[in-house]
Amino acid sequence: MKQIIFGMGNEAITEGALAAGARFYAGYPITPSSEIAELSSIRLPRLGGMYVQMEDEIGSIAAIIGASVAGVKSYTATSGPGFSLMQENLGVAVMGEIPCVIINVQRSGPSTGLATKPAQGDVMQAQWGTHGDHGIIALSPSSVQECYDLTVRAFNLAERYRTPVILLADEIVGHMREGYQIRELLPHDIIDRKKPTCPPRDYQPYDFSGEEDEIAPLAPYGSEYITRINGSGHDESGDACGRPDNAAKFNSHYLNKFRINQKDIIETKSFDLDDAEYAIITFGCSVRSSKAALKLARQKGIKAGLLQLVTIWPFPKEQVREVCSRVKGVVVPEMNLGQILGEVSKTNPGQIPIVGVNRVDGQMITPYEILARLEEVAK
Amino acid sequence: MKETWQVIFSGVGGQGLMLAGTLLGSAATGYEGKNAVMTSAYGVESRGTFAKSDCIVSTQEIDYLEVMAADAVIALAPVAYQKYVDSLGEDTLLIYDDAIETLPSKARQLAFPIAKIAKDVGNISSSNIVALGILVKITALVKEHSVVKAIIEEFWGKEKLINLNLEAFKAGLAISGSK
Repeated sequence: MKQIIFGMGNEAITEGALAAGARFYAGYPITPSSEIAELSSIRLPRLGGMYVQMEDEIGSIAAIIGASVAGVKSYTATSGPGFSLMQENLGVAVMGEIPCVIINVQRSGPSTGLATKPAQGDVMQAQWGTHGDHGIIALSPSSVQECYDLTVRAFNLAERYRTPVILLADEIVGHMREGYQIRELLPHDIIDRKKPTCPPRDYQPYDFSGEEDEIAPLAPYGSEYITRINGSGHDESGDACGRPDNAAKFNSHYLNKFRINQKDIIETKSFDLDDAEYAIITFGCSVRSSKAALKLARQKGIKAGLLQLVTIWPFPKEQVREVCSRVKGVVVPEMNLGQILGEVSKTNPGQIPIVGVNRVDGQMITPYEILARLEEVAK
Repeated sequence: MKETWQVIFSGVGGQGLMLAGTLLGSAATGYEGKNAVMTSAYGVESRGTFAKSDCIVSTQEIDYLEVMAADAVIALAPVAYQKYVDSLGEDTLLIYDDAIETLPSKARQLAFPIAKIAKDVGNISSSNIVALGILVKITALVKEHSVVKAIIEEFWGKEKLINLNLEAFKAGLAISGSK
């Protein structure tokens, strides 16, 4: 095989899913994610897996939840309109603690929006689109190589923490082509969910007591263990339970399991931050414009640095707070009207200027727009 | 040797503009160890309206993905030619089909019978590959044999398509010597 492939982000995402061991895809194709469905439909059957074209996105996420409970790593891909339809069952996956990967290749919204144009407007939806308090994991790639690497990581995190993971890509990274490598994965690079070792009659699919990471083992349907998935509040066994102490315990658990494991979950990348007086904090496709802006700013004598949020949710509060504590100003470029800007501002109330560079016209933010904002802040 | 080349393949949907960019990027990354990035823009229609692909080839890391100052623009349809002709500077090469009416421009304009050559080779839909041949011969931004390898890889197992595209590429290389 050729070392470097000049491939599309959506292709790299599919390759990453297959490399991570995913063998079931259910979906309803939608621009700009359709290449993931197309390539999955070709590749999965050859690997002994299964591709199902569903009637809609509600069915798609229901099917991947079912396949995952049967023990198969499962994924679907969509864009804003489909992601909206998935929200109810996303809650089922949160409540049932079902590992699965949902790829959202973001496009311009709301509603049908500009179907072929990029946006980064689903940041808040990834965390709060489904109702109720809960944590979630969302990762955001900025290159074709990261599309591959982060998809592998998305499956690993889903399996390790029994949770849906959102790969929050965008039309630009999904459709761009760039050289990338299908990295060879060794057995220890792939994480599979914990399985029970107790006698079947003692198995409780939601009993995380005695588990340091607060993650209970998950037995597949069809095994000698009984696993119950229940969208209603439930106890350790999975039976419905309305006791206040039980509700408090589990509703807190849906958030706590991410908090106590955040060191493993949260990933950021730093560029030129060591001596930086001003910082750019961004994610996804806007990282590319920001890297170019960083070089332009340094040429002009502005000591700028860049913090890339690879993990979007749980939000990398500590890393953002640390950067904000030692610079004089922060610029947050994003193709929305300030969703990450709000989260960055929360970590650092009123101390330094924190300003956005925002576009919602379906056009990529240019390096010069970011540079202009940096110059304003540095004045 | 120029470090970075910024190229725009433009025309209308269905003319293989993404394929031209893909082959150029594949030649650069897969066979020459360079970096390349391709992005594209198109409408919701599958065919017939303005479309383009931006392809950047560089020996350096490529940060921003879109072409900011084109070194070369290939225009295969009037709508694409008219979009760019006014705005290009004298350092830009504008390669276009000679069936398109020429307008004044600061760019270095080069008209070739691209569609006609493609038809002669066997299929008008290989105009994109003829244009790629012209571009590679004039600029030497990648080696000719790297593109040949990229074409063979892209159409692996489809003998007829490999031959048609190789013929189109070679015809593009040959005609560019006429200017």
